[in-house]
Amino acid sequence: MLTKRQNLMEVIKGGNPDRFVKQYEFLEIIMEMPLLKGVFLEPGTEGKNAWGVYYKWPEGHIGQMPVHGEHTVIKDITEWKKYVKAPSVEFSDEEWAAAVEHANSVDRNEQFVTAPYFGGIFEMCHNLMSMENALIAFYEEPEHMHELIEYITEYELAYAKEVIDHIHPDALFHHDDWGTQRNSFLSPEMFKEFFLEPYKKVYGFYKDNGVELVVHHCDSYAANLVPFMIEMGIDIWQGCMTTNNIPELIKKYGGQISFMGGIDSGVVDFPGWNQEIVEKEVEKACNNGKLYFIPCLTQGLNISSFPGVYEAVNEAIDKMSKKMF
Amino acid sequence: MSNLQEVKAMVEQGKTKLIAGKVQEALDEGNTAEDILQSMIDAMGVIGDRFSAGEIFVPEMLIAAKAMSLGVDVLKPHLAGESTSSLGTCVIGTVEGDLHDIGKNLVAMMLEGNGFEIIDMGVDVSPEKFLNAAKENNNVKLVALSGLLTTTMPKMEETVKLIKDSGLPVKVIVGGAPVTEEYAAEIGADGFAPDAGSATVKAKELVNG
Repeated sequence: MLTKRQNLMEVIKGGNPDRFVKQYEFLEIIMEMPLLKGVFLEPGTEGKNAWGVYYKWPEGHIGQMPVHGEHTVIKDITEWKKYVKAPSVEFSDEEWAAAVEHANSVDRNEQFVTAPYFGGIFEMCHNLMSMENALIAFYEEPEHMHELIEYITEYELAYAKEVIDHIHPDALFHHDDWGTQRNSFLSPEMFKEFFLEPYKKVYGFYKDNGVELVVHHCDSYAANLVPFMIEMGIDIWQGCMTTNNIPELIKKYGGQISFMGGIDSGVVDFPGWNQEIVEKEVEKACNNGKLYFIPCLTQGLNISSFPGVYEAVNEAIDKMSKKMF
Repeated sequence: MSNLQEVKAMVEQGKTKLIAGKVQEALDEGNTAEDILQSMIDAMGVIGDRFSAGEIFVPEMLIAAKAMSLGVDVLKPHLAGESTSSLGTCVIGTVEGDLHDIGKNLVAMMLEGNGFEIIDMGVDVSPEKFLNAAKENNNVKLVALSGLLTTTMPKMEETVKLIKDSGLPVKVIVGGAPVTEEYAAEIGADGFAPDAGSATVKAKELVNG
């Protein structure tokens, strides 16, 4: 039996996997990294993160959301330098200790030691200035947007250096949502103009420094951006929703990139979920094929919003592995 | 190209820095404010259709809506009455328990661009707040409910029921990622739209009876 890591490599290289990869099983995500301090609020609280972006997580809601209006960090994009100050990436060895210990405990033959990054370059732009203002600024103030993106990219590179120095990750799990369930936010031309080169720099840096696998989370439609994903060095697109026509993507791009998702979280991860719904959706997903595809909830972490759903999906994938392998 | 056609083209192309001057030119040329407004409304109709067809993306829609808004600012002193609205008032918001606002904001901009007066209730809006806004504002013809989370769909249903049970003569339109035409019909909404472009078409259809 292949290890989780070996099985994943067989899937993405077009080899001979001996079962489906079960969601995030191949990634051991190091959430203890001090760089993540303040990224997530506790439910029922609100406050600013390290970049000054104000978030709210109301009690009973399933996640946190940035709040703009009076809290907007960049009040005028032409003066972004006045408002934006990247947080420090320097932390003491003591602050890194828990992350290092976690990374050292991982059997790297079995799993990839994985560095997470939440709120990528596009998300950072709209978190700092609100979605509407950011999207309008791409048209009205492109030079300032390029400058802001360069600044965020430099931060990501500094973050990457610290991560590489401290935990020597095998994989990167990087979040940046680029669309809605129906389309990308930006046209492919605009996406290319603003984001291709910055991401080539960031993902290239990780790969030049020992990272074997780049997994990018984007739980939306983004099929029109796949050529850029390949060019920027993404190995696995996690969060690939069913609206993307996954079989067609596999046929067109399999071998250059793999698709992880196919089980839309909104469809199975809700208070009234049951095993029958889960099994039906997992079966549909597994029918996408054994290669270049990893059945997974589109959720951006190895959890579900409602207790038991993530585990139920795992069980259903096990069943499909027995049936199809 | 006449100034009216140029105004329409500038809104479609989102020429935010030039539109005010062009609207002024159109006025100076002797066009009525109503005709100029109609040319901009027509432009937003084109934008909505192109967005629904996937030919343009969110920034193009936003920049067009902004251009229209800047054009309307020039027209306002010349329009009869205080309001530029001819379709009535729309109360819009994201349902209780949901903080997502992008889709709701886009629909609000498109509806405003097409002649509705907008009362934007924001996000996480309770059924009672929607009902009160529909009662307390003038000429409310439409209530638009947005929701992105599967978990908040019951709140959408509750809001539709409360408004319908109140007997107010308003139509209710719903939308958002998990919402389907079938679900909209099941909860008693009058209309559903999958995106901001088609929301405008549906909203006009609903209020024009």
